[in-house]
Amino acid sequence: MKCDIAVVGSGLAALVATRTLQQAGRNAVLIWPGLSSLYFTYATVDVLGYSDLTTTQPVEQPEAGVAKLIADHPNHPYALAGLDALRSGTTLLIEWLRAAGFTWQGSLARNLLLPTAIGTPKPSCLYPESMAAGDLQRDEPIVFCGFVGYEDFVPELAASNLSRSWGRGDQSVRAIRVSLPGFDTSRLFTSIDLARSFEDKAFRREVASRIRREIAIDSVRVGVPAVLGLTHDTDVYSSFAAEVGHPVFEIPTLPPSVLGLRLFDRLRKHIQESGVEMIWAAPAHEAEVSDGQCRRIYLKSAGREHPIDARAYVLALEDMVDGALRAGVHTVVDPFFHQSLAHHAVPTERTDESLFRPQPFASIGYAVTDRLQPSAGDGHPLARNVFLAGGAIAGYDPVGTKSRGGLAIATGYRAAKEAMAA
Amino acid sequence: MITDEVGTFSDTVEEAAPVEACTKCTACNTVCPVARSTEIFRGPKFLGPESERYRSQPEAAVTAGLDLCSGCKLCEVTCPSQVSIQEYIRRAQNKGAAEKGRTLRDWVLGHTRLLSRFGSMTAPLANLGNRNPLVRWAMERVLGIHHKRPLPRYQWLTFERWFTRRPHNKTARRTVAYFYGCWVNYNERRLGEQVVAILERNGIEVIVPKQQCCGIPAVVNANMDLARKYGGENVRRLSGLPADVDIIASSTSCGLMLKHDYAHLLDIPGAEQVGARVYDICEYLWMLHEAGELNLDFQPVSTRLLYHAPCHLKSHGIGYPAMRLLRLIPGVQLEEVDEGCCGISGTFGVKVEKYDLSMKIGSRLFAAVKAAGTDAVLADCETCRMQVEHGAGAHSAHPIDILARAYGHG
Repeated sequence: MKCDIAVVGSGLAALVATRTLQQAGRNAVLIWPGLSSLYFTYATVDVLGYSDLTTTQPVEQPEAGVAKLIADHPNHPYALAGLDALRSGTTLLIEWLRAAGFTWQGSLARNLLLPTAIGTPKPSCLYPESMAAGDLQRDEPIVFCGFVGYEDFVPELAASNLSRSWGRGDQSVRAIRVSLPGFDTSRLFTSIDLARSFEDKAFRREVASRIRREIAIDSVRVGVPAVLGLTHDTDVYSSFAAEVGHPVFEIPTLPPSVLGLRLFDRLRKHIQESGVEMIWAAPAHEAEVSDGQCRRIYLKSAGREHPIDARAYVLALEDMVDGALRAGVHTVVDPFFHQSLAHHAVPTERTDESLFRPQPFASIGYAVTDRLQPSAGDGHPLARNVFLAGGAIAGYDPVGTKSRGGLAIATGYRAAKEAMAA
Repeated sequence: MITDEVGTFSDTVEEAAPVEACTKCTACNTVCPVARSTEIFRGPKFLGPESERYRSQPEAAVTAGLDLCSGCKLCEVTCPSQVSIQEYIRRAQNKGAAEKGRTLRDWVLGHTRLLSRFGSMTAPLANLGNRNPLVRWAMERVLGIHHKRPLPRYQWLTFERWFTRRPHNKTARRTVAYFYGCWVNYNERRLGEQVVAILERNGIEVIVPKQQCCGIPAVVNANMDLARKYGGENVRRLSGLPADVDIIASSTSCGLMLKHDYAHLLDIPGAEQVGARVYDICEYLWMLHEAGELNLDFQPVSTRLLYHAPCHLKSHGIGYPAMRLLRLIPGVQLEEVDEGCCGISGTFGVKVEKYDLSMKIGSRLFAAVKAAGTDAVLADCETCRMQVEHGAGAHSAHPIDILARAYGHG
């Protein structure tokens, strides 16, 4: 199949790149390897939470933080993509979210500190309206509300962790649990089942009244696991919050992330119905390069390899899961150009035993040129018309610095611009 | 000693992901149209890879509810680790049926070709019967086929006979073999005629090798041996075609069986080689277009259309060639409706205990179709078309129908 520009991936970087191409009137095809990384990640947009992997002091102003990071580290992917790409890409994303019916808030100017499911603060600057009331820079006491039988959110754990770190006094954090109509503990259920049930008005109203009965005091805010609707979330959130009678905020839970699912599903539908073709179920690999240009990549389609001949390619893949990298016991290779991206004589060098320390595997990826083309690390592109975006770019840990979203936006936008010019 | 196994390890993960490749991410459950519509279905993750881990044990895991999997394969389409979720479910269901026996209804629905042959031979009578409330009441009681489900009309003249009787066009630069499938043969001969006319209009000779049911009705009705028998016959005959003859299918699911399931689900020898030569009709015509060989002499077709992509088309991994093709025709206004599975899934929505569920799954699509109010809804899959007509009261057609009109073969 021939096309103008092929975007490979289904995470935020791929979506931003595709939208950038669409807005510029270019004919983009979006090729999926499988479900989006947005299903597994937190689904706020984190631009820069921590300036490096060792500090515990969160960044207050993400845009200024990125500017400083670029000045200090001229080879960081943010520096390669450029601050302008972050700004323009963010504007594009915010406008797109609005067009697709989302009510998101925030800007590059300021990070909120939003509580996680284990009660730790997480810096994020773009977030759904339904999370905003959780900001830990505000002072109102918090009640974490769990649901009986739903084990992916333990309100007591969140409350006990937060009360130790937050410092707003003994009475500032509490935990409650309410039972849910129709969900008894003998039933196995997930956040997805709950989110579907919350779309039902009567269910929602009953849960809200049970929460109201549990909370006898005024001036608190209520944190619930992010299950307030799967597709009709805006209405679900506002009506539920009104019925609870206190400010309500959602807290992301273990994968699959309902917040990520909402985001991906609606953006995908929006871009697809506005004319961008998607090729589902087709992992991409094998770049055919001649004279410094990529002529073709292949998709693993049913029955045979399906060739894609594009003028330019945006490879917006993330990691091992979506096929950006292939990891053997010692070596990590890239499936497009067959470079060795990392080699570990002892396989355990790739990981740190503590889950909460920086993981060496997180920064494995493709070396890129200053135009985000893949390179052998010598500054020369392996193919002039291929551009990388997102987590597969080497040399940074998007999880550790809480910068995954911002980097996806900046590199997705920049890669799309470069692909148009190629 | 651990040795470097980059090549073999990564290829194992991608080509035929073992059950261990499942990371339990639950992505499949979020997209499963059945899990979305009924809480009694425990979802593809549990019934597929999770239960699979125990099925090879001496005390094999007994998993109830396997028959609620409709076989749409959206779980496999969305699995980031390319696990063959639905194939595990099908194999387990087949094993259960082989041990416990299957119902008369499932036996009959698995033998769709026999049923259709009978329907076609007795066409006027069969069609009358299928619309008679008393007959339908009896069918529901005896066979478990829901009385509200419209059954397809049979035609007396089959595509096969029509094709052998017609004058053969041999002045062509290329030859393709047409796998028409039971639907075109017994129910919608006109679609087959259009496929032939369009290919010949583009200078391609069409041959029709002798063929058997693709086997998908047998697969989804827990009769894998029958499917393997049908598939084996097809592979044998199609393997005998000259090497430069491509194989074209106009039914999405037949095409997917030939391309993929014969080799991967049914392990039919020689199926890989055949599958690599199979093309969906729109995929093939688009390839012609890209090679500059498609006749673009279209008459304008002034119409507003909605396109529904069948779930199994997504499994082909070829995008939506029908949309690309139809956008070449002047006058065609085409939009995509993206509301997921229509709910019928072949014989699934025909069954008395699944009819309501199938209509519930399709309800989002029906609402979108009604709201759009276009002249027709296009879908490459015949049972999607049946379901949209039934659920949304809309006219429905194969994309080829519009292309045929543009060529003056409407």
